[in-house]
Amino acid sequence: MLKDYVRAQTVDEVLAALQKGDARVIAGGTDLILDLQAEKVSAEILVDINSIDDLQNIELVDGQIRIGAAVTHQQAAESQLVLDSAPVLAEACRSVGSLQIRNTGTVVGNVINAQPAADAAVALVALGAVAEIKTENGTAYQPVEDLYTGVGKSKIDSTKQLVTAVQFPALLPNQGSAFIRLAQRGALALPVLNVAVVASLVNHKVEWVRIVMAPVAPRPLRAVEAENMLRGREVNEQNILEAAKAAAARANPRDSALRGSGQYRKSVLETLVKRGLSEAFNKAQG
Amino acid sequence: MAQMILKMILNGKPVERRISPGDTLLDVLRGDLGLSGTKKGCGRGECGACTVIMNGKAVNSCIVPAPRAMNARIETIEGIGTVEKLHPLQETFIHCGAIQCGFCTPGMIMSAKALLDKNSNPTREEIKEAVAGNICRCTGYVKIEEAIMMAAEMIKRERRK
Amino acid sequence: MKKPAVIGKNVRKLDALEKAMGTATFTTDISLPGMLYGKVLRSPYPHAKIINIDTGKAEKLPGVEAVVCYKNTPRVKFNTSATSTFTIPPLEPVEDQYIFDSVVRYVGDEVAAVAAVSEKIAEQALKLIEVEYEELPAVFDPLEAMEPGAPDLHGPCRAGKNIPGEKIHLELGDIEKGFAEADEIFEHTFKLPVQKQAQMETQAAVAQVTADGRVTVWSTTQTPHPSRRIIATIFGLPYSKVRVLNPPYIGGGFGVRIGLSAKAEPIAVALAMQAKKPVKVVYSRREDFIASDTRHSGYVTVKTGVKKDGTFTARQMEGILNAGAYCSWSAETPGVLGAMGLSVYRCPNQMYDGHSVYTNTTPAGAMRGFGNPQAMFAIESQIDIIAEKLGIDPLEIRLKNIMQPGDKWVLPYPCRSSGLAECIKKGAAAINWQRRGKFDKTGTKRRGLGVGIGTHVSNAWPFCGDYSNAYVTIQQDGSAHLAAGVPDMGTGTVTTLAQITAEVLGISYEKIGVTFADTESTPFEIGSHASRTCYASGMAVVAAARDAKKQILDYAAEMLEVEAGDLDIENDTVVSTSNPEIKAPLSEVAVQAHLKGRQFIGVGKIIPENAPPWLAHFAEVEVDTETGQVKILKMVAAHDVGKAIHPQIVEGQLHGGLAQGIGYALGEEIKYNDKGRQLNDGFHKYMLPTAVDIPELKAIIVEAEEPSHPYGVKGVGETGLVATAPAIANAIYNAIGVRFFELPITAEKVYRALKE
Ligand code: FES
Ligand code: FES
Repeated sequence: MLKDYVRAQTVDEVLAALQKGDARVIAGGTDLILDLQAEKVSAEILVDINSIDDLQNIELVDGQIRIGAAVTHQQAAESQLVLDSAPVLAEACRSVGSLQIRNTGTVVGNVINAQPAADAAVALVALGAVAEIKTENGTAYQPVEDLYTGVGKSKIDSTKQLVTAVQFPALLPNQGSAFIRLAQRGALALPVLNVAVVASLVNHKVEWVRIVMAPVAPRPLRAVEAENMLRGREVNEQNILEAAKAAAARANPRDSALRGSGQYRKSVLETLVKRGLSEAFNKAQG
Repeated sequence: MAQMILKMILNGKPVERRISPGDTLLDVLRGDLGLSGTKKGCGRGECGACTVIMNGKAVNSCIVPAPRAMNARIETIEGIGTVEKLHPLQETFIHCGAIQCGFCTPGMIMSAKALLDKNSNPTREEIKEAVAGNICRCTGYVKIEEAIMMAAEMIKRERRK
Repeated sequence: MKKPAVIGKNVRKLDALEKAMGTATFTTDISLPGMLYGKVLRSPYPHAKIINIDTGKAEKLPGVEAVVCYKNTPRVKFNTSATSTFTIPPLEPVEDQYIFDSVVRYVGDEVAAVAAVSEKIAEQALKLIEVEYEELPAVFDPLEAMEPGAPDLHGPCRAGKNIPGEKIHLELGDIEKGFAEADEIFEHTFKLPVQKQAQMETQAAVAQVTADGRVTVWSTTQTPHPSRRIIATIFGLPYSKVRVLNPPYIGGGFGVRIGLSAKAEPIAVALAMQAKKPVKVVYSRREDFIASDTRHSGYVTVKTGVKKDGTFTARQMEGILNAGAYCSWSAETPGVLGAMGLSVYRCPNQMYDGHSVYTNTTPAGAMRGFGNPQAMFAIESQIDIIAEKLGIDPLEIRLKNIMQPGDKWVLPYPCRSSGLAECIKKGAAAINWQRRGKFDKTGTKRRGLGVGIGTHVSNAWPFCGDYSNAYVTIQQDGSAHLAAGVPDMGTGTVTTLAQITAEVLGISYEKIGVTFADTESTPFEIGSHASRTCYASGMAVVAAARDAKKQILDYAAEMLEVEAGDLDIENDTVVSTSNPEIKAPLSEVAVQAHLKGRQFIGVGKIIPENAPPWLAHFAEVEVDTETGQVKILKMVAAHDVGKAIHPQIVEGQLHGGLAQGIGYALGEEIKYNDKGRQLNDGFHKYMLPTAVDIPELKAIIVEAEEPSHPYGVKGVGETGLVATAPAIANAIYNAIGVRFFELPITAEKVYRALKE
């Protein structure tokens, strides 16, 4: 049963509050509140991080975009910096639930929730984002991609750790990105599929590309074969189609009574990856 | 259960209330404060009936922990207009027939207000995006969107005066 | 006839200001001194016997003031729908439920309820109720439920295995002869999903019981008078000691509370009686989804015989609907399905057989359209199949065969008016129908145009009993007060009835006050359903206002020393039609009468006839052939509504119906898993359209003259979604050449069909 609600003003306050027994970090809380009500999660103390100034910023530091843990989806979706230098994230954030949810839920929370199809998290994996994790013992960094231990299960323990930010390299002029989403309606819907692509081109050839697909595995899934296949290759339709095929082959979506059969998702995935690659390459070519 | 004091600026006036840490903002508004204009359609952040404006942003009050509203500026449907001087959105929702059962209306108007407060020249697409989290089962949204367009015009005209 | 002063105008709606300001009261807003909160324990099994139920621990939880289950509540059978009030002999209403029973028949069925000082405590108490179940075999599909080995949900049924009520049979001409005359015969079976009303205010009731046993219930019901009858019957009270009212607003209905608001009312009353305090029961959204009536799912088969020139010689239909676990409206819906399906096209030989079947799923009841959308998805899909096979344009085959006034049909009232041809022509122009067949068929996105037409009713007769009453009283200041028992669930009823009152009386609209939806202050009135309020309740209001007017004029005639027949009322003034100099303000007449000890009290009592509204829907779609996604680009709905009393309200009804029809066509469905659990139990999982999913909607009003109503109005509440799904399905066919026999047409279904 909830006994206290602490509105921390500094990161240190959060870490101290977490020492006080059955405490848990709350950021946007759009999912946590429901989980608490349904008694899927329990806590005596909630430590709210939304009023910590340091966590509210989106900044560019040494070519890295840093998104604080209290930054909401809508903030990221509207940020000029994100729109210019990580449009894939802006678009992913914009497709989440509804404006009200985007005004409350945070980008970092989207990662820690560890739902494989969380839109922002899928984009972050494509951007190669790294999480900054603080505990009493200090600061650690881990790729977002490696934080998943299962569906809805994160390595981050919000009763002990605080992710203060995620960061990733801002896209350069020769780089482009795309976010492709298939959903059953235009808002208030989880994705049937989503795909994030970030690509870097040099002389019309693929320098590197990251393709992330969800929900086709217990975590946002990198299409590693397809990425490798494209490296060094010419940007053309043939290569895109081959890569899309390879990407979809790696996916293993489950049957969902609500959001479609695995088979359907697997076959449409190829189209989405194809569209994502084309768009990302186009943008990279400027 | 532990109790705490919540202070906020509610519809322009400071208020103080004793709350439980597990309360949602919607619980506090509809409960002790008696502001039943804000509706509960799902209690899960899935319908927008409970939309209020918190520090300038539309949020679903049913999933905002009440303690987070500490020192916040909260606007609800009760605070945006009076019978003598309705808010332009209230005016146009009535005029355009954008209200049928009226259960979605307060949330819808608050979402629209949050939009128009920032952007008095919205496109139909921007309007749709701003109210996409507000389910209306009665109107098919057409007249709601028309009402928001018309309110934007009114607001612009008033500003020019 | 005089030029109307008030009707036909978009006057300010009477409920709009309060609703815009957030001060309108809904049932969920009511709070009474000492009020407790009721919560319901529901069955986790689709079919089970309660072996043992122990409420001891729950009763002992501090803050709990009442716990009820089948052991301590009346063992009186009822039907949550208003069928007991409406069913007329020789038919008998099916009464097959208790407030709580020792057998549960679907996941969500009521097991027990608790009243406590807070919602949280009530919820905690539910967890302390110990129930031991013995699971029973369950069945979920209506066809399987008719098989000999299937479990009987309610013991033997007269009409057949698991069939509630009667089987419906309709017939016209000689069906065998009709098929023998046909050049071609088409037969198809269509499958329909479970759609949910998903009105924004969940089912709710607040019950208060006085020390001397009088009961007041504020609730979300669409039919206060019939609901009062159900409640009084359950608790063995005289109707006169039970008051049911809306407070006065309802957050939508769409049929889900024609009768009780699921079981919110009787549960609240049972708890209030035990606790001796007022009790409020508000369903959670999940409860509303799983334990409150849905639209009927099921199967519709259509067999049509047709001549080469497109003339129909025979049409035979069969409807088998899924009733769910309790009857609700399942005895009536199959009848409306057949009757509406057969009444759109002229065809000399017709036959329909239909019925519902009990299964262990959420009860199906009334939802906007009431069987008609199911019928028209089948019929209108098949008409396009026939047209294509015969090489006739879809519009042409329709225009050739549509019902005309005076034609014979299966309905027991005459078809007196039809603006359907005009609807089809105007709608076709608005969607730019000539483009059909000229779209580019090479890209990954393919466009198509489709049409669907239909009709409906303007009240429930002859499927159910139907009548209305109203009082109009003239106040001493010359204003008028209308008392009508009908609710306004957002459809503008109160506004239109006030307009009608003002029109008849010649009094300004602003001077009309209305009491509505309250059994204690209004005469008996069926309520808000079957698109009837403007037509049937409106007739009663016209009658009451005319009665009052006659009294006014008789009195004024004496006062002004002229013949009553020479007088009329205009602009709140009684005036001579032959000499405008002779006049008196109505306020003057009323106050004079008052000083002599008289009030003008008009009473209206009517039994309505019925009248067919007509509709033509057009859809333009774009199909993404690589993902299967269907995007609707535009919809046009042209409706013959008779006279539109308030055109803006009419448009609003059409828009709303279209949106629900779009949902029905493309996404809305409650599915079950193999354990009988509803998978779509919240807004996030139930794909009704949001603002971004709705394309441009164009409503076109056609006003054919309808002689059966004093102002020529016809029903409009339900027509908006009658033919929306088939218009969309036909447009999809036009785009990609794939025919769908099942709703909703999801992206996955489209994709699969394209791959095949
Ligand atoms: S009540 Fe808050 S979103 Fe539905
Ligand atoms: S007006 Fe009824 S839900 Fe919007």
